[in-house]
Amino acid sequence: MTGNTGHFLRVDLTVDSISLFEPPPNYYTRFVGGSGLAAKLFWENGDFKADALSPESLLIFALGPFAGLRLSGASRFSAAARSPLTGHWADSSCGGNFAPELRFAGFDGILISGVARVPSILVVTDHSARIESSPELWELGVEAATASLKQRFGRSYKTLVIGPAGENLVKFACIMNDGHDAFGRAGLGAVMGSKRLKAIVLKSSNKDLLVADQAKCRELVTELNNRVKESVTLNVMKENGTAANLEGGVHLGDVPIRNFTSNFWEDMSDALTGSTLSEKYLIRGANCAFCSVACKRIVQIDEGPFAIPKGPGPEYETIAAFGSLLGSMDLAAVCKAGRVCNDLGMDTISCGATIAWVIEASEKGHIGADQSDGLKVKWGDIQTVIDELLPSIAQKRGKLGALLAEGSVAAARRIGRNSNEYTVHSKGLEAPMHDPRGGGHGLALTYSVSHRGACHVSSPMLFMEMGACYYPEIGFDYELEPLSSENKPESAVVAMTLGALENSACMCQFADREITIPEWVQLFNVVAGLDWEIDHMMKAGRRIFYLQRLINYRYGLRAKDDHLSPRLLTPAVDGAPEGIEIDFEKMKTKFYKLMDLDQISGIPSKKTLQDHNLELEADTILGE
Amino acid sequence: MEFWKDETEPIKAFIELFERAKHDTELAEGLKKVNQLIWFDYTEDGPSCSFHVDCRGGDVKVAPGKPSDQPDLTMSLSADDAHRSWSNKLNPVMAITRKKIRIKGSATGLLKLAPKLKKVAVIYSGTLKDLGWESKILS
Repeated sequence: MTGNTGHFLRVDLTVDSISLFEPPPNYYTRFVGGSGLAAKLFWENGDFKADALSPESLLIFALGPFAGLRLSGASRFSAAARSPLTGHWADSSCGGNFAPELRFAGFDGILISGVARVPSILVVTDHSARIESSPELWELGVEAATASLKQRFGRSYKTLVIGPAGENLVKFACIMNDGHDAFGRAGLGAVMGSKRLKAIVLKSSNKDLLVADQAKCRELVTELNNRVKESVTLNVMKENGTAANLEGGVHLGDVPIRNFTSNFWEDMSDALTGSTLSEKYLIRGANCAFCSVACKRIVQIDEGPFAIPKGPGPEYETIAAFGSLLGSMDLAAVCKAGRVCNDLGMDTISCGATIAWVIEASEKGHIGADQSDGLKVKWGDIQTVIDELLPSIAQKRGKLGALLAEGSVAAARRIGRNSNEYTVHSKGLEAPMHDPRGGGHGLALTYSVSHRGACHVSSPMLFMEMGACYYPEIGFDYELEPLSSENKPESAVVAMTLGALENSACMCQFADREITIPEWVQLFNVVAGLDWEIDHMMKAGRRIFYLQRLINYRYGLRAKDDHLSPRLLTPAVDGAPEGIEIDFEKMKTKFYKLMDLDQISGIPSKKTLQDHNLELEADTILGE
Repeated sequence: MEFWKDETEPIKAFIELFERAKHDTELAEGLKKVNQLIWFDYTEDGPSCSFHVDCRGGDVKVAPGKPSDQPDLTMSLSADDAHRSWSNKLNPVMAITRKKIRIKGSATGLLKLAPKLKKVAVIYSGTLKDLGWESKILS
C-alpha cells in the first residue's frame, strides 16, 4: 500500500487495550480516507444506539492518502463521531502538523472507544502506542496542558489536547492541535472528554512517505507547489490571512451582523478586515506542515484590556463570530476572545453564535434575570463575554453557563417562548460566518444538505459562487450569479461530490482551488497507486456523500431535516441582498432529483446505492 | 476588439476615468491606500495599449504606457475585458480563475478597491458619455 499505511490503531480505554486494525484495502479505494473512510469504519464499528458521550461511542481520527506529502494544503486530517451537539454524524477537519507525523509513525488513523478509569493520554510513537494516566493535566487549559506535554516529552512531539470545555462535556468543545489548529465543529472535544482522554501526543523518527510513483509524484507536487506560490488569492491570504477579503464580504452582504439581523456595516469592515489585523497586531504568519501559504496568524497585543502575549491569532470565522456577529468591531477584543476560546477548548463559531442567540433572546425579553444569573450581555460588550460568559460556559457554571454549554438550539428548546426564532442553524449546527443571503444562494442549499449541519467547508460552493472554481472536465463551467438560484442545484451536485472528496483526501479548501480535476486524479494515482479516471474519482465522492446520508438516516434524519432556520431564508433588510428571496425549496427539489434522493426519506434509491457499490449498506437500510 | 476602434481609444477612456476618480474623495482615498505602482497591461491588443497608475506616496498620478519604474502590480488582460471590468460587468475573481486576468505582484491593495467597483462604473459611464461614446456603455 502506498500513500496510506494500511494500519489503524484501535484503542479501548475501558480495558486499557491497544491493537492494530487493518481496514480492507478496497475501503481506501472506495472511501478514499479522512471523512469518507471514517464514515465506513463508523458504519461497521459504531454503535448507533450509543449516546454521543457514552463509553460505547466511537471517536475516529483518519488521515487522507496525501498526509505526509510535501504538498501545500495536504496536511489536514479528519475526526469523526456522533455529535453531542446535533445527535447525528459529524466530521471535522484540522490542519497543523499532526497528520503527517501520524502517517510517518505508521498509521492512517485511530479508533477510540471506552472510557479511561482516570484522566489519561495516548502516546503514539513509531508503530507503537501506549495509554498513560495523567490526572495532573485534567482541568488545565489547552495552553498549559500543551506546554506541560511538550516539557515532558519534548518540543518536537505533536499534540492533540482538549480544554476544560471538553472535560465538562460542553456540546461544542473542540480538540486543539498544538494549541493553534482545531477540530472545531460539532463538539468532538466533548466526545474525547467523555472518554477521559485529555490528549494524544505523537512523535515519529521516520519522515518518509512511500508513494506509488516517486518521479511523477515529485514532478506533480513541484508543479502544484509552484502554482500555490504564484497564486494571486493565496498570496493575498499569505499577507492578510483568511480574513483578507472581509471588506469585500461586507459589501456583498456575506458577513453576518448581530446574529444575522443585518447584512451591512461599513465601518466594521475596515476595523475587522485582515489587513487591519496585519497592521495592528500581526507578528508573523504561520503555516500547516509543508504549506507555503501560511494563512495562520501569530499576533500580540501589548496593552489595553485585551492585551495578549504572542500566540495564535484569529482567522476569519473567529473574527466574524466574536466581532460583527456580536455587534463589535473591536479587533483586539476578537483576538482575546479567540485566544480564550482556544484555551478553554471551544469552537469559536458555535460559541459566538450561541452567545449571539442569547443576546438577542435576552434583548427581546425571552430570558429573564433568573435564567441568566443576573448577567446582562449586550451587543458589542465583548469584555463581559470574555470575563464572564466564556469561563461560565466552559465550566457549565451557573444557570446561564450550563444553558449555553448545550449550544443555541438545545438552549432555545429549553427556554421555549419562541426563542428558537433567533437560532441560526441547520440540523442543530450553528451556521458559520457566511450568510447565504449575501454570500450566495447555493450556499443555502449546501448548508442544508451538509451532513453535519450548516457547514461552509462540506463543499466548495462558497468558492464556486465567488467565481474561484472552473472545472469544465466535470461540467462545471457556470458563471454563477451569487444572488440567484440559477444553476445552483446542478452546481451543488458538483460541490457536494467534490467536498466529499476534499474532506476525505483531507486537503485544504484554499490550496485545493489551484488543483485541476485531472491533477486531482493524477495525485490519487501517483500517491496511492490507484488506476483512476475522472469518473472513478467523482463516483467515490458521490459514494461518500451517500454513505454519510445513510448514517444520518440511521440516526433518524429525513428530507425535512435538510432545512435552514427561517432567519436565513427571510430576505435581508439591508445591504446588497436587501429584499431578495432565496428560492430554497425549488433548489432543494431539483438537487434531490439530480442526486436521486427520495423527497421524503432523503436517501437514494436502492439502485443508486448499488450503482455506487453500497449494496451491503443498502441492504442494511432497505432490506435485502 | 469588440468595443474599440483602435488601441488608443481604451487608453483615452481609462485615463480619463482615473483622472475623474482622483477627484472623488472616497475613490481617491481608496487609491492612496493602495500605495502601489500599478501597470494596466492590455498590450495583447497593441504595443502601446497600456497605462499606469502611481498611487505611491499619498498622491495619484495616471499616465499612458508602461511605467519607467518596476511596477508593484501588473494586471494583464484584454482592452475589452478591461471595459467590462470598469463597467462592473466582469467578476474579477472569475476572470482571474479563467485566466482572463493575469496578475503579477500583490493584489491586496486592489482587493480593497473591489467593493468600490460599483461607484467606478458610474464614473466610467459618465466618462464614456462625455467622450461621445455612449454606444459603448454596457447596460
